[in-house]
Amino acid sequence: MINIMVVDDHQVVRQGLRSLLEAESDFRVVGEAAGGFEALSMAANLHPDVIIIDLVMNGISGIEATRQMSKTCPGAGIVIFSMLATEYYVLEALRAGARGYISKDSSPEELIRAVREVAAGHLLLISSVLDRTIDFFMRIVNNNFADPMQNLTAREREVLYLSAQQKTCPEIAKTLFVSPRTVEAQRTSIMRKLGLKNQRELIGFAFERGILTHEI
Amino acid sequence: MVTIVIVDDHPIVRKGLKSLFETEKDFSVVAEANDGFEAVTMAQRFNPNVVLLDLILGDINGIEVARELSKNLPRTGIVIYSMLASDHYVMESFKAGARGYVSKDSSSEELIRAIREVAAGKRYLSAHLSEQPSLGEMMTTNSPDFYRRLTAREREVFQLSAQGLTCAEIARRLNISRRTAEAHRANMMRKLGFSRPAALYNFAFQHEIQADTACVKPDTTKSNRKKLGKRV
Repeated sequence: MINIMVVDDHQVVRQGLRSLLEAESDFRVVGEAAGGFEALSMAANLHPDVIIIDLVMNGISGIEATRQMSKTCPGAGIVIFSMLATEYYVLEALRAGARGYISKDSSPEELIRAVREVAAGHLLLISSVLDRTIDFFMRIVNNNFADPMQNLTAREREVLYLSAQQKTCPEIAKTLFVSPRTVEAQRTSIMRKLGLKNQRELIGFAFERGILTHEI
Repeated sequence: MVTIVIVDDHPIVRKGLKSLFETEKDFSVVAEANDGFEAVTMAQRFNPNVVLLDLILGDINGIEVARELSKNLPRTGIVIYSMLASDHYVMESFKAGARGYVSKDSSSEELIRAIREVAAGKRYLSAHLSEQPSLGEMMTTNSPDFYRRLTAREREVFQLSAQGLTCAEIARRLNISRRTAEAHRANMMRKLGFSRPAALYNFAFQHEIQADTACVKPDTTKSNRKKLGKRV
């Protein structure tokens, strides 16, 4: 029996996942969470085999939640389930400890396969995401691309992500349970490391790197 | 019986919606569609009371689909169901013929209510969206496109702000006082529904408002979007 926890801020998506997963006789959905924080405490209690988690939610990002859950629940295989499939997100997900990455327009069969593979301890990235990820790695390996993001700490990455989501420093401070001054210092450090002068350039960088994507 | 066609390019979302609607005794999901072409095909075949339509359908712009549907099937109610919740998309959706707009953040009760209201011939807007004053207005009058509500000066300030100029720089460029520039900027932000500068920059990058465009086009379509397939 594979015990699965589902994390997505849209009830309809959670419902869809549940009905899909429960059709498999050896899958059991043991919990649903609507956000990163809920997921953290739920995972610590339930110790699921697999966690399916969205990237974009209110509060902390799915990446940050993954980062924390892979430390507190090392036995759980984390599968990111997201519409976003740029290199930025795939690499961040892998870095944070995710073992699977599928996109929201993947077929139900692909999702089920991802859950099985990750439960068995393997990595699974769907093919469109795999191609981009490998391309990106190759660029780095061939020294064609020195990634300034490499210099950011895990916390700075989260602050960058939240800033790109238009959150102000006080809002970010609340989300991360730190003081606004800490966040301001982190923002300054991020801007310096990435060579950005102002907020507009930060948003522009976010679009370039695939942290933000064109909506339509 | 309220017959519904679900249009969303995410199979999981379609499944979730279907099982949600199964709990309503008078709702019947007659078809599902994965893209714009299928949406129009299914709607024409089944003539549903309501089409539940996402705005992002692969490469196709859901607003165009809404336009096609409302042209060909004027009696079918279109409810947009999208994560995109800015004034801009809501306005464009209603202009394209949609009668309901529910953000994906909303509860399932709201979604169900939206479908009922639109099936009954009314309009519906998610509660938290209708709090925005410009949208509230739009629901009661057929007010003109909000870009046109910007004065010429406000449009200039928008353009320059989008390029990253500070109020001081804008004032110098337009030969006005800084206070005047700040006032124009505040009015412009309020009219366009931007609660913070980051929202304005995001909008500018989303719509690729370049430094050299002379005017801002209130157009949601991207030049490389695919056209809808042939009509059945």
